[in-house]
Amino acid sequence: MRQRIGLLGLGFMTPALVMVLVFFLIPVVMTAVFGFTNMGTATGISGGEYLLTPKIVKQLEIRGEFDKQSLTALSSNRYQVTEAGLAKAASDGLKSAYIQGLRDSLLGREYSSKRDFERALKKIKDRPRKVRALKKSAEYFSQSILNRRYLTDHEFKTALAATGVQLSATEFDQVLSASYTGWIWTTDNFTNMFSKPDTWVVAFNTLVYVLLVLAFNIGFGLFLALTTFYLPSGQSAFFRAVWLLPRISPPVLYVLLWKWLTWDTGFISTVLGWFGVPAFNYMLGSVGSAWAVVVLINGFVGASLGMILFSSAIQAIPKSILYASEVDGANRWQQVRYIILPQLRWPILFTTSYTTLSLLTSFEYILLSTEGGPGNTTNVWALEAYFTALNNYAGNLKYGYGAAMALVLVTLGVLVSLLYLRLFKFDELVARPKIEN
Amino acid sequence: MRILLDNFTKKFDDVMVINNMNLEVRDGEMMALLGPSGCGKSTTLFSICEIYQCNGGRILFGDRDVSNVTSQHRNVGVVFQNYALYPHMSIFDNIAFPLMVKKMPAEQIKKEVHKIAELVHIGDLLERKPSQLSGGQQQRVALSRALVRKPDVLLLDEPLANLDAKLRLEMRSEIRRIQQETGITAVLVTHDQVEAMSMCDRIALMDHGKILQVTTPNDMYHNPQTDFVAGFLGNPPIAFLDGVITNGQIQLKDSAIQLPLPSRVPVQPDGKIVRLGVRPEYFGNQAGIELQGQVSFVETQGRENLYDIRLGNGAVLRSIQPVRADAGLGDSVSWPLDTEQILIFDDQGQRVA
Ligand SMILES: Nc1ncnc2c1ncn2[C@@H]1O[C@H](COP(=O)(O)OP(=O)(O)OP(=O)(O)O)[C@@H](O)[C@H]1O
Ligand SMILES: [Mg+2]
Repeated sequence: MRQRIGLLGLGFMTPALVMVLVFFLIPVVMTAVFGFTNMGTATGISGGEYLLTPKIVKQLEIRGEFDKQSLTALSSNRYQVTEAGLAKAASDGLKSAYIQGLRDSLLGREYSSKRDFERALKKIKDRPRKVRALKKSAEYFSQSILNRRYLTDHEFKTALAATGVQLSATEFDQVLSASYTGWIWTTDNFTNMFSKPDTWVVAFNTLVYVLLVLAFNIGFGLFLALTTFYLPSGQSAFFRAVWLLPRISPPVLYVLLWKWLTWDTGFISTVLGWFGVPAFNYMLGSVGSAWAVVVLINGFVGASLGMILFSSAIQAIPKSILYASEVDGANRWQQVRYIILPQLRWPILFTTSYTTLSLLTSFEYILLSTEGGPGNTTNVWALEAYFTALNNYAGNLKYGYGAAMALVLVTLGVLVSLLYLRLFKFDELVARPKIEN
Repeated sequence: MRILLDNFTKKFDDVMVINNMNLEVRDGEMMALLGPSGCGKSTTLFSICEIYQCNGGRILFGDRDVSNVTSQHRNVGVVFQNYALYPHMSIFDNIAFPLMVKKMPAEQIKKEVHKIAELVHIGDLLERKPSQLSGGQQQRVALSRALVRKPDVLLLDEPLANLDAKLRLEMRSEIRRIQQETGITAVLVTHDQVEAMSMCDRIALMDHGKILQVTTPNDMYHNPQTDFVAGFLGNPPIAFLDGVITNGQIQLKDSAIQLPLPSRVPVQPDGKIVRLGVRPEYFGNQAGIELQGQVSFVETQGRENLYDIRLGNGAVLRSIQPVRADAGLGDSVSWPLDTEQILIFDDQGQRVA
């Protein structure tokens, strides 16, 4: 019997487990995987090639670990007529008389600049008539590996060795990894993240954002639920409907209304202008007003959830208990404080944790309103991750770094949930089954 | 403290529930509001404590008009039908609540709570939560919470309705004991006549928002003013016969049977239509006029049996008497009716004598 119930329970759980797997675990795992790479627009998300550019050489030089001479040698453009080069040229269909001429007069010679080599070519009898073709033929004998793509590390290593530049083993590896254009596994995202001062600013902003909006949501939701509870039913229905409007209006329109309200040519400025107050952009004009606007925009949207949950929870309290508290001599405040609020523990727990988690990851209203401004002052973690990974002005998207930021957020969310469960003695609330079996 | 309802009226929107009720509950008295379901007992009770606001008339506590005093300040203790204990508080906190909101010092609260808990015998339950108590224990908690702040009046809304038969019996005498020990004025709402009769000094019998009669249980049983009162009180219930006055006697409807008027009844005009109320204990026991009939129903009640006797005209009389062997279902019997004890009502249901 026990066994059967166990299987049955598992059967009932299966859809939930599949959901958790598909919609939570897999994304989290993917995020974690991406977080430990340096993927981005520069690297792409598939494999890469080896490409040594003058810029990379300069970067290596800045690191200062290289012998200067070998770096100069790496970036110098040397030409030498070799059998390999001749064979390649022949197979590409260059005139055999020209190739023969090259072999006869120039085989084995070295030139340290392109100009010199081209000048030597012009002396060959059967050279191509066109200057462009001539210049092109010179490239068969270039010994430089700069600006050439090598598809595998073997090719690149061979080419590097062929340049004849003397490199130590570590130098060799450094050149190899510096010129790789694909993504690699790395923990640099995290070390960079925690060493960047901007990160801590954004983290602090996030904390402020979550705490303020959370307090506003819960406090205002409670206030609305309690006041509408004591209003006559017609009026309370009206007020509840009014406070639902922000939730059901499309975010873009809703934020547009706020812009219209707060911009320096907007409603508030216009009205205050009548009283001689100078026009002011409340959304972006100052750090304080920007934060106020951000909190209010998010707060009015979120308060309706609390309001509805708290209202229905208050309605569910048996009338006679409220009557009893009244004849026991409790005034309104005492009734709220000692009778209603304690019975709202569940919905408050739920709304607090739910709101915290959704606020941690939410940024859409900030993106639509202040875009994190002025400066970086209202930028929050999720918005920063979004900018980093998916959308920024420079066009240099860093998927790996963004994923690392998201991973921090997920970890934080799990920790916060656990904290809430402890704090509200969740297990105590659900421990005893209502129906004993 | 006495309670006076003076032309008290209560409407819910357009529904008139209580119209011009007058009722006095004397100081220290326990009064039952008795009546069928939906007659307005709870409404009256909740108006006395201002959970409902009255729409007309006055409510006086002592000589003080409290019609406009809020429930917080009326100083009434109420025991609700479902007890309405605060589920999130311990029993101690539940009982202490009325004192706590008055900001009484903690030491004193403790003393008062323990005192009242001893009175109702729940001293050892104070640490528990309401959900961990039995119905009877919850009932006692509700009672102590109502009493702890020494209210002027105690209001009980069907306090025993949720208890089993044995516990009900026990709590009946328990509540009465506590009421008498504290000397508090109390109003008990019930639809159980036994409860009303056994617990209360007086009964106010209600129907459709009107008080039909207010008197002691004994008087109400023996001198009901209307046939409704007579029918409501008494278990097994009274039986009614239709008749008409003929030659100074009562001629039963569709029957040759004539019964003499009880000697206390003045002469009645011929042709007057009457209803006779016959309590089961006055048929089949004492001497009187023999009536023929057939046993149509027998109910065993242990020491006694309840018999329904169908008379020749189809009317049914009820008889309660010690178990007897000579009357089985369908048997013809001839039993005496004590005509001196017949209650006589007119065709409007008003008592004639
Ligand atoms: N809030 C209300 N709105 C409208 N009518 C109501 C309301 N409360 C009660 N009533 C009506 O008032 C009448 C009296 O109700 P009340 O609760 O006083 O009955 P009661 O005598 O206590 O009955 P019971 O023994 O079933 O508790 C009923 O007909 C009921 O339908
Ligand atoms: Mg009732």
